[in-house]
Amino acid sequence: MRRTSLALAGVLAITGFLLVTAASSARASKRAEAPRKTELINLVVDRQSQVNDLDQAVKDLQQQVGAAQQRESRRNKQSAADAARLARLSLQAGTTAVSGRGIEVRLSDSQRQPPNGQDAGAYRIHDSDLQLMINALFAAHAEAVAVNGSRIVVTTPVRSAGDTIVVNFRPVTPPYVIVAIGADTNDFEASDIASRFRHWTSLFGLGYSVHSVGTVTVPAFAGRVAMSDAGPAAGP
Amino acid sequence: MLALLGLLVGALIAIVVHPTVSQELSRYVTLGVVAAIDSSLGGMRAYLEHTFNDRVFVLAFVSNAAVAIALVWVGDQLNADLTTAIVVVFGVRIFQNVAAIRRRVFGG
Repeated sequence: MRRTSLALAGVLAITGFLLVTAASSARASKRAEAPRKTELINLVVDRQSQVNDLDQAVKDLQQQVGAAQQRESRRNKQSAADAARLARLSLQAGTTAVSGRGIEVRLSDSQRQPPNGQDAGAYRIHDSDLQLMINALFAAHAEAVAVNGSRIVVTTPVRSAGDTIVVNFRPVTPPYVIVAIGADTNDFEASDIASRFRHWTSLFGLGYSVHSVGTVTVPAFAGRVAMSDAGPAAGP
Repeated sequence: MLALLGLLVGALIAIVVHPTVSQELSRYVTLGVVAAIDSSLGGMRAYLEHTFNDRVFVLAFVSNAAVAIALVWVGDQLNADLTTAIVVVFGVRIFQNVAAIRRRVFGG
């Protein structure tokens, strides 16, 4: 009887020891993770607001530069000619906001649940879809294109970072609204890409619609257009 | 009475010593706890059924914990999560033991 109690007491002592140890270590690991998570979230939010501030500062400065150039152009004939040339170049480079008639294409992920065993990727809009669409719009004579207010210029990358599409190094979220000034609706609808998207829409229920719009504004490209490393090659 | 005292003493030692367990090892400790609870309840059941044998009890406790930890270790090497399997098995046994104890104590 004595040995029985001792054995029970010993085992229960170990049980109690392990119980408290496990509980305290579980609590400790939770405590260790919680601040790191909030720290990370704060960091992301902080950096996002920094980027937004800097974007805004760039826009303000570009406006100041534009105003200064305009003031300068009024001084004499030579600078007036320079200003006209600058305006033309800026229009071509995409650093001027432009407006005109064009078409608006809306793309969004499917609302349908992908059936089992089928590729779920077919039900989502990817960076390649946006690339195809932008190329098709330029092929339909678009002169200025923007995705969710982000102007597409010659150096614009459209790529994916995880599940997010990144345009001009800024994430864009669905629905993706692509505005193309100067694109011809008939040419676009007749294109291979448009017919492919119509087909995919009927197959997978993607959100896809095309409207022609009377007057629409495409914002200026806010990033850097000057080349720092690339220079003209010496002769052919 | 002595058994309960043992439980308290064990808990107190843990609180006083406050051992730190690394992340990888904490899973093993958790399994040890489950195995220990199962063995303790098994012991109580045997005691109430008058089939208690201290040697069997201590051996069962040690071997249960050892096998559980060894299985998880093997699972880690094979990249298969065997923790769930062990927790389920011990969970079922804990309920069976509790049910047996209840039948003994309350006769229902």
